[in-house]
Amino acid sequence: MDSGKTPQYWKSWEEGPGAADLVQISTDEFPEPLDRPAEQFSRRSFLKAAGFTAAVAAAGIGCSRAPVEKAIPYLIQPEEIVPGVSYFYATTCGGCPAACGVLAKNRDGRPIKLEGNPQHPVSRGGLCAVGQASLLELYDSHRCKEPQREGKPATWEEVDRQITAQLALYRNAGSPVRFLSGTISSPTLNAEIRKFLAQFRDARHIVYDGLSSSAILDAHKDTHGERLLPHYRFDHADVIVSFDADFLGTWISPVEFSRDYAAGRRLDAYPPRMSYHAQFESRMSVTGAKADRRIRVSPQELGDVMVRLAGRLAHLAGAAFPLSVGATDQPLDASLDDLAHRLWQARGRSLVLCGSQDIRLQVLVNFINDVLGNYGSSLDLERPSQQKAGNDRELQALLEELRDGKIAALFLHGVNPVYDLPNGDALAEQIRKVPLVVSFAGRLDETSALARFVCPDHHSLESWGDAEPVRGTISLFQPAIHPLSNTRAVLESLAIWGGQPKAAYDILRDYWRENVFPQRKSDTDFQTFWDRAVEAGYAEAPSAAPKPGHFRAATLQAVPKPARAGGEFSVVLYPKVAMLDGRHAENPWLQELPDPISKVTWDNYACVSPAAAQRLGLKDGDVVRLEADSGKGSAAALELPVYVQPGQHDQVIAVALGYGRKATERFASAGPKWLFGGPDVGEDGRIGKNAAPMLILAGGSLQYVHDGVRLTKTGRRHALASTQTHHSLTMPQNVPLVGGEHREIVRETTVSALLAEAGKPSPAPPGKNGLWPADHPYNGHRWAMAIDLTACTGCSGCVVACQAENNIPVVGKDEVLRHREMHWMRIDRYYSGDADVDVVQQPMVCQQCDNAPCETVCPVVATVHSAEGLNQQIYNRCVGTRYCANNCPYKVRRFNWFNYVRNDRLQNLALNPDVTVRSRGVMEKCSFCVQRIEAARIESRRRGKPIADGQIQTACQQSCSSQAIVFGDLNDPNSRIARMARDPRRFGVLEEFNFRPAVNYLAVVRNRDYADRTSKEGQNHG
Amino acid sequence: MAEFLLPAQKPLITGNKTPADVTRDICHALEGRPTPLWWGGFLVALALLLLGALAVSYEVATGIGTWGVNRTVGWAVGITSFVFWIGIGHAGTLISAILFLLRQRWRTSVNRSAEAMTIFAVMCAGIFPVIHLGRPWMAYWLFPYPNTRGPLWVNFRSPLVWDAFAVGTYFTISLVFWYLGLIPDLATVRDRLRGGFRHRLASVMSLGWNGSFRTWHRYESVYLMLAGLATPLVLSVHTIVSWDFATGVIPGWHATIFPPYFVAGAIFSGVAMVLTLVLVARKTMRLENYITLRHIDVMCKLLLLTSGIVAIAYATEFFTALYSTNPYEEFAFMNRAFGPFGWAYGIMVGCNVLTPQLLWFRKVRSNLWLVFPVSILVNVGMWFERFVIIVTSLHRDFLPSSWTSYRPTPIEIAMLLGSFGLFFTLFLLFCRFLPVIAMAEVKGVLHVGHQAQVPGSERHPAQRPLEQLQTAAVRTGEGGLA
Repeated sequence: MDSGKTPQYWKSWEEGPGAADLVQISTDEFPEPLDRPAEQFSRRSFLKAAGFTAAVAAAGIGCSRAPVEKAIPYLIQPEEIVPGVSYFYATTCGGCPAACGVLAKNRDGRPIKLEGNPQHPVSRGGLCAVGQASLLELYDSHRCKEPQREGKPATWEEVDRQITAQLALYRNAGSPVRFLSGTISSPTLNAEIRKFLAQFRDARHIVYDGLSSSAILDAHKDTHGERLLPHYRFDHADVIVSFDADFLGTWISPVEFSRDYAAGRRLDAYPPRMSYHAQFESRMSVTGAKADRRIRVSPQELGDVMVRLAGRLAHLAGAAFPLSVGATDQPLDASLDDLAHRLWQARGRSLVLCGSQDIRLQVLVNFINDVLGNYGSSLDLERPSQQKAGNDRELQALLEELRDGKIAALFLHGVNPVYDLPNGDALAEQIRKVPLVVSFAGRLDETSALARFVCPDHHSLESWGDAEPVRGTISLFQPAIHPLSNTRAVLESLAIWGGQPKAAYDILRDYWRENVFPQRKSDTDFQTFWDRAVEAGYAEAPSAAPKPGHFRAATLQAVPKPARAGGEFSVVLYPKVAMLDGRHAENPWLQELPDPISKVTWDNYACVSPAAAQRLGLKDGDVVRLEADSGKGSAAALELPVYVQPGQHDQVIAVALGYGRKATERFASAGPKWLFGGPDVGEDGRIGKNAAPMLILAGGSLQYVHDGVRLTKTGRRHALASTQTHHSLTMPQNVPLVGGEHREIVRETTVSALLAEAGKPSPAPPGKNGLWPADHPYNGHRWAMAIDLTACTGCSGCVVACQAENNIPVVGKDEVLRHREMHWMRIDRYYSGDADVDVVQQPMVCQQCDNAPCETVCPVVATVHSAEGLNQQIYNRCVGTRYCANNCPYKVRRFNWFNYVRNDRLQNLALNPDVTVRSRGVMEKCSFCVQRIEAARIESRRRGKPIADGQIQTACQQSCSSQAIVFGDLNDPNSRIARMARDPRRFGVLEEFNFRPAVNYLAVVRNRDYADRTSKEGQNHG
Repeated sequence: MAEFLLPAQKPLITGNKTPADVTRDICHALEGRPTPLWWGGFLVALALLLLGALAVSYEVATGIGTWGVNRTVGWAVGITSFVFWIGIGHAGTLISAILFLLRQRWRTSVNRSAEAMTIFAVMCAGIFPVIHLGRPWMAYWLFPYPNTRGPLWVNFRSPLVWDAFAVGTYFTISLVFWYLGLIPDLATVRDRLRGGFRHRLASVMSLGWNGSFRTWHRYESVYLMLAGLATPLVLSVHTIVSWDFATGVIPGWHATIFPPYFVAGAIFSGVAMVLTLVLVARKTMRLENYITLRHIDVMCKLLLLTSGIVAIAYATEFFTALYSTNPYEEFAFMNRAFGPFGWAYGIMVGCNVLTPQLLWFRKVRSNLWLVFPVSILVNVGMWFERFVIIVTSLHRDFLPSSWTSYRPTPIEIAMLLGSFGLFFTLFLLFCRFLPVIAMAEVKGVLHVGHQAQVPGSERHPAQRPLEQLQTAAVRTGEGGLA
């Protein structure tokens, strides 16, 4: 109110003294008395409510929307992070001690795929199944999220305080401190451990491997004076003789060995090479499946065979051989004569190896290699391998100390002795009695669950570190992601407990500055050297080479003749390609990976030879009881389902290690759960059975053969989830007329047959002269693949690579039993022959046919042909008639029978954002990694250059350590794929039906100069 | 409809029925209360239908994984049942359309129920292609219609699209044909009812039928035309269904013999199903005078004929396969007969080829206690025929690495039972609410006034006991003109 000069006369109360109220009220549009009763439902409230109800109803019906989730863009763009663009960081694989180089593909700040690092001097681009799958373990929600004290979460400060206090006591008292680890090839970590242990008067670092090669090192100690593992160079070998060493599958460094082995068997190289490979083994291994000559011998006979071979070679070399060669065995003698002859012809270019843990046999092998002059060429002792450093003698000593209760503090790193050593239960009791047990395990396994303190280490993709797989080649770990949980690097933990806290990065860098940098080859400053090493993922820094002496023949020891009790078996314990010693048992990709030989998933089993199975009346899946009551104090028993394994020795039962881990109980919910679904785990709730109780740790080595095992039937059955039910290309005999016919799905030939055909014009790929004009002109690119079956070992790295790249779900055991595995890439394995079987491996992906049977039958055009030859599956359009899958002659199409389990939101971070996650009811299949083709196209457009040959690598091709897979543009006549398509060995599967597959296979070639069954057939069919 | 009947021709309808008798007999079932037998059958059928509905709901909610199919055997019980039910339908059209055009007047007694069977069977069949989809809610994508996705059309090269058209057309024509035939009878029903909902409904549905000459004339013209339209469907529908397989590359599917083989098989199974149904209807609804032994006899002969065609097809398939020297083809057929699914092949041959051979004997044909099980076995055999074609061809195809087996889950079995539940529920409702015999047509074939000329009949046949009459009829048929 204006306090004006003239009085304003008011006509009503509101205009006058009540005006203040009025002003306040009039700001509301509709003045209302404030003192209205609360319960009264006013006209306005009614309208509000009615309007709201109508609006909500309309919104609910018409346009219900997901809750608003705010995507916050980067205000300040972090360097190197462009949404949707992948970056590769060179690091090292932490899957096993082989330490292959990897490139971690990072997308939006998280690693989504591991690729082999082609520049890495050890692995040179390949990556095995375990390496590929180790990515998934990074995102495992079952990892330890923080340190634990006596099973309860604790803080690092608390843990550090208590450990330091206790260690101080032991330091003063001089109590024994033991550090038990797996092979650590990291120079920095080894130095840090040494420094840490140096504080104590009685401290030792003991190394053992679940898959031990200790005997090889011990034998070299005997014969050459240095305890070391030679660096095997398969590419330098023209004749390879392996005694029970599965070097293409699981032995020491399979990726590296596969690569070298394939390099020695390149028929398209100039000059062409084809090494000769003989394998003596008792079970069917991945390596034995590739051998040109495979001889079944029982583990007891192995020594005898080696003595006889050594005797022959000594005779040829004119060298003294102190052992008696023994009686003759006619059929084998002919083979050994032949083999000795071949070896002698190729002396200096041959390689003999042995996978046995018997030191006497390893000494024999060293003798043979020495006689042949292989040391220095195919066996490198100057730059030895450090991929296995386990010392079983020291392990045995440690176990004795534990038994006597002498140890005050036990540190455990990268090992699970309660699980993977015999007498694990007794060991668990002994470990419980140790006053201070500290485990660095990233997850609670059988052993770390007993530890007083669990100080979880980072995953290898989260940490700084290094590894020296071969002396002089140091591979670097760099983090590809910030640690996902409250874990801490071992380097840091040790530094803190040693009283000199330092970040892992600084420890590593300082070590490199002081120890690696001085040995550099090039002349640079440290920063440049370091940057280049981090960029490349490794550095070459030759250190002082060991000076091994020459072979000392006096070390040869007699090998006892085999003496076998009748009707009893030897159990051979072996690692599977996926499971190794069981450290990756919690990885569902590896559990669901079909074994390259048996094709069984989600289980271990007792492999029995067909003859033995027939004799005992056993079928696949019959549960048997294996009892070993050897006089060594262990009465181990195992109940396992039988798997009838062709090519196995009749006296041998082979059982895979790495199963029956307690942690596999988590897989009870691995697959979809529905009304009539079966269990995904065994009766005891776990995956498989632990075979470690059958191991023997005696005489200074961990032995994988257990003699004198009795087999009894239990009458129970346990279904094995195999992805293949018929195992040969020969039709079953019980179908009249056509039984026994052979299908030409895989072509095989021999070197001699190939030489005979050389010079003849190679048959042109069929189907050029159709009646109708071609449906697809392919004017631009024409994508195609070639798979060299001679190079393929069946190692299955590609299968897991494909799974990681293409977001392929895990379906669980029950679904695999129902034949509904989802792998886009499978490897078909076929046997031929009777007792001495030959094996072929045939990777099978979508053949991207030009005349694709699937395309014509889809009613809704959900699968169409691209202008570049791709057979494309459009998930959005697919209604799921499954007609295409029925009509696919290669049966490569996979259907989403359920919405598969993707409950683990952390694990979903491993999904590739470039590839759709398929929902239930749609068909899917190999796309030739179309996302990679498109990425290359975008890149080439951006740069204004055409896509170069080799620029696009499919996930399977990238990961193949033997480089069996080639992808490229068939329209480019100079491309590698076009050259391979002109190879005389080329064939297409089911080509006679004119499907015109875009996948070209190159025939399996065996280095045989005798005409065998398959080569004769090959000649007949032309 | 009036047509000269030879005096020697035995009557199609026995019991010396007058047109009024016919109306009364047929409509009686509609007007009274349902018998306990009907209730029993209906409840069982409804229970099966509910079981099937539960199974389908569970499957749609959970995924095709609830079936036993796998990466190699993508189709099994679902598509088997689809082809089975489509096949069943064929006999209805055959009887109503082809036999009409061929002036086979005995058809009048069975054509109504046969046509109803066709419609219900096609309904049962139509469910399977939808529920077997991975995403059944997208089933409408199989039809070409203007859309905002491009527009994106269907793949006209795909037999499944042809299927959608063929089955859709078949269902529409069959329904219209059936309804047209019902109009005069609905008018009769209307006229017999006095008020009430059913009366009003019958009034509407009979489209103002007044029985005038013009009405009859138009009715008969349209009926003839529709019969002409429906006739090619008998051949086309199952031909197209057979192309689902024949155009595939799978050994055992890829065969030119499939269209005639499937059509013959369809008629075979359809006639068997008609036999099953009319035998039941005849007994439970006391229609012995309308569906006489002569009808049964004729249908048994039809069964025997089609069984022979099917048997020749089986043999030809084998011959072609073995003569082809195509190892995949040879294996597919030898494996079919002697492989892991040999038992299914055995059931198929046993039921479809061996069992019908009994029908060569008149004693068997006239013994309904033998005809009935034969008709059931033929139905079982024909279901297994489709199972054999689909599953045994798929389970061991080109690459031995992909060979698998197949075992149905309880969900699939429940769905199969559910389809029978649906079929019988609908059929029993039909028996209850619509005239099961085409009264108007039957009246056209009554032997009113002819009986006196039948040799050896001094007395009016209506005065004789029923059994005696039947025997006489059979004897006359047997001996011809005495």
